[in-house]
Amino acid sequence: MTHEVPTYIGFEEYSERVPASIPSAVQQATNRFVSGRAARVSELPQWEELRQIGSDIRLHTIEHMDVYLTRLEEKVKAAGGHVHWAQTAEDANRIVLQIAREHNVKTAVKSKSMATEEIGLNHALEQAGIQAIETDLGEYIIQLAGTGPSHIIVPAVHLKKEEIAAIFSEKLDMNAPADPIELARIAREVLREKFLNAEMGISGGNFLVAETGTLVMVTNEGNGRMCTTVPDLHVAVVGIDKVIPDWESLTVFLKLLARSATGQKLSTYTQFITGPRCEEGEFGPKEFHLVLLDNGRSNVLKDPVGREVFKCIRCGACANVCPVYKNVGGFAYGWFISGPIGAILSPQMLGTKTARELPYASTLCGACADVCPVKIPIPTILRHLRRRVAQGDAIALPTMPAPIRVTASLASLALTQNWIYRFGTRLLPTLMSVFRRDNWVPSAPYPLSRWTKARPLPPFTAGFRNWWKNVRSAKTKESAR
Amino acid sequence: MPKAQLFITCLGDQFYTSTLQNMTHILERLGVELIFPPEQTCCGQPLFNNGFEDKTRPVALNFMHAFAKSDAPIIGPSGSCVSMVKHHYPSLFKEGTPEHTLAVDISSRTFEFTEYLVNVLKVTDVGAVYSHKVSYHASCHYLREMGLKTEAKTLLNCVKGLEFVSLKEEETCCGFGGAFTVTYPEVSRSMMENKVKDIVASGADTVVMCEPGCLMNVAGGLHKAGSKIRAMHIIDLLASREDTL
Amino acid sequence: MTNPVIDNIRRSLGRTVQSPIEPRPVIYASRQAESLESDMEHFLDEITKLSAVGEQLSPKEIDSALKSLVTEQNIRKATVWETASLRQLGVAEILNSLGVELVSANADKYEMAQCDLGITEADFLLPETGTLILKSSHEKPRAVSLLPRIHLAIVRPEMLRADMHQVFAEAKYSNYLVFITGPSRTADIELTVTLGVHGPRNLFVWVVEDRKNHHN
Repeated sequence: MTHEVPTYIGFEEYSERVPASIPSAVQQATNRFVSGRAARVSELPQWEELRQIGSDIRLHTIEHMDVYLTRLEEKVKAAGGHVHWAQTAEDANRIVLQIAREHNVKTAVKSKSMATEEIGLNHALEQAGIQAIETDLGEYIIQLAGTGPSHIIVPAVHLKKEEIAAIFSEKLDMNAPADPIELARIAREVLREKFLNAEMGISGGNFLVAETGTLVMVTNEGNGRMCTTVPDLHVAVVGIDKVIPDWESLTVFLKLLARSATGQKLSTYTQFITGPRCEEGEFGPKEFHLVLLDNGRSNVLKDPVGREVFKCIRCGACANVCPVYKNVGGFAYGWFISGPIGAILSPQMLGTKTARELPYASTLCGACADVCPVKIPIPTILRHLRRRVAQGDAIALPTMPAPIRVTASLASLALTQNWIYRFGTRLLPTLMSVFRRDNWVPSAPYPLSRWTKARPLPPFTAGFRNWWKNVRSAKTKESAR
Repeated sequence: MPKAQLFITCLGDQFYTSTLQNMTHILERLGVELIFPPEQTCCGQPLFNNGFEDKTRPVALNFMHAFAKSDAPIIGPSGSCVSMVKHHYPSLFKEGTPEHTLAVDISSRTFEFTEYLVNVLKVTDVGAVYSHKVSYHASCHYLREMGLKTEAKTLLNCVKGLEFVSLKEEETCCGFGGAFTVTYPEVSRSMMENKVKDIVASGADTVVMCEPGCLMNVAGGLHKAGSKIRAMHIIDLLASREDTL
Repeated sequence: MTNPVIDNIRRSLGRTVQSPIEPRPVIYASRQAESLESDMEHFLDEITKLSAVGEQLSPKEIDSALKSLVTEQNIRKATVWETASLRQLGVAEILNSLGVELVSANADKYEMAQCDLGITEADFLLPETGTLILKSSHEKPRAVSLLPRIHLAIVRPEMLRADMHQVFAEAKYSNYLVFITGPSRTADIELTVTLGVHGPRNLFVWVVEDRKNHHN
């Protein structure tokens, strides 16, 4: 995975090239999180109520995003922080680079941030000669490995400990043992030195509280605290969709988030950061910069159905239950965000030309909607985006390839002119009889071959209409006599 | 005597003649007078689910006109097809138009087979006999869109001789997803293989479900895996009067 | 001054500066506090589940408890919040007498990183989740609960709150808050839970109260 924004996401192609190790590794993680979530949810009798309130608050905020962002900016500034508005990814990178240059930054330590992956910040910093070091263990591992994340919460879960030991041994010039505890200890030692010497800490953010201008970070390892406490300069890059009205609202989201994500009641560390440090002599950053990232989000707001995607609190529960995701892993979704949420966010932000395959990467089973803590109607939005791809809507022209659109037109014709359908139904059993073997059709010509490659078709019997008309009514007439 | 119209579904029409015949027998045995409108073709779900809403509209109109000739309820052996009619037909047409009014009427009287038996006719025992170990695959639209969480098991409970064994992944999608099997065949295959593994692990000799689509997928998958486990539509199991395999 | 992002948001939503702002949806009542004993029991129970160590002590027992901790955990360097309550308990003096080198809580990051033990109080406690809540100030540095490899929080029962709602109502105007729920952890490598990745590996929580006032 590169820093570059994809020009086309070939989900079908990726899904055919999934390495054999991925599904089992991903499923180990998802099974753990699913059972954890189930246990935590059963402890809270008011869970459904919380989901509804969470959904309502997020929707309200989306519909008033301008108001809350304006208030947020005011409060962050009042607390002594700086606020920057980044319309595009390039803007965001330029802003962070400028801040870094102004402070003579040579090394930056990064806490896990999907927004910075979205804009390719690490690459932009490296290009400018600034070392950007991921400090979340999973992110650190994939940074060393040079790959992308396979899961939203545990990005390196696809790698075995032996592989990670080999990566450490090679990149850190040492003899790293294949033991998770030892590997974590090595990472702690190596990164500790970076934390202490870095001039800048970069983070993302889980929530932005408009009421007081507060950045909320939900983490487990302590690297989030290190990045935002130890260096003198803290820069946070956060999507504009992360804003929430007030602290009271936070009580709902903090109760929903960790339980949905990993099955914890609360993550180990939750920080509430309002501007830089207050007092002289207080430990903490002297300067705080908040970079608010748009990068297409404000355009997505035009669509009342699609914009519900911004209710997302990035828990990953949808991916954990998705049978499609569990069989292909995160890479197949082609961008920084995967699983069902990726299938509805990427097509809206990248457009349905680049991501036309993603809305179809689902059987519409609905398991995701059942677990989403903020009730995002994912199957509804998937269908909505499929409509955009297949026939176009107010937002975009259709991008479905012509052969498929022609097939759909023919199908529609045959199913509307019911004489065509009924004629075809009478004909098919005869036509298909040549492919029949006992009670199955094990192989058939294209496009049915796409089915029969994996399993046989049942035989085309199509006998009901004839039975009803001729056999059954004859019997009925007989018994009536 | 209650009347009902048979909605045979396009998959039922092509592949499941005996299931449709059994549906006829069961309903008539329960005293329902049946009507079969021959103009029906398909509910349009494959087009709708793939985003071709404009092309779905004429198909839906054909369906509605076929079934509007009688005011009797419409019964189908598929949760997803019935859900298409019930939950999506009205949204296809502009409010205030006669088509919309018709869609609202049709959707209000369309039922899935087990739903009709248990919730409308209030029947749970149809006198079925099937002395086997049976597991159940809960089809996605049947379970989640139609909200039918107990009806199938209620009916299975009353089958004489039936021993029920749960699937560990009872509610996990089998990978059919309509066109999904041909749009992403590799992923669909993986999902189907997982479902087959789960069924084999349950120790059942039969797996039953309420969807022709899932049935096509799972039955084919079991056969391909060399398994002797029998995959059936619940209607065929409910029609069983002797121990036949 | 126009802000192109805000302008685009307004355009997309069909809003103007004068558009009405409905109040946000209501959030219902929070958890009610149980008895102090019951909430404290919940709290300590959760602490244990998190692989942290919780104990109830009287002020007199601090001396021997610190002695055990220093010995068992091989503490050579420590840093302590310079708050009235910890001064009253004589924590710094006790450590001194045990031969532990005391680093000022306002020392620089390099010195703090050398410490084995960091001792703080907590401003609030949450029983449902076993959470410690710490503010930040000149006398309550953030580094003390973060940089040393062991974090000891000496807390008082009065710090218990029924729910997050109460904590937020009291503390939302602080410039910094951290919720600490157990020691640092990760499951990034093959889902094996590892403690002490970047934050403290061990978390000790001592609930100190004057037993004379504590009725059974």
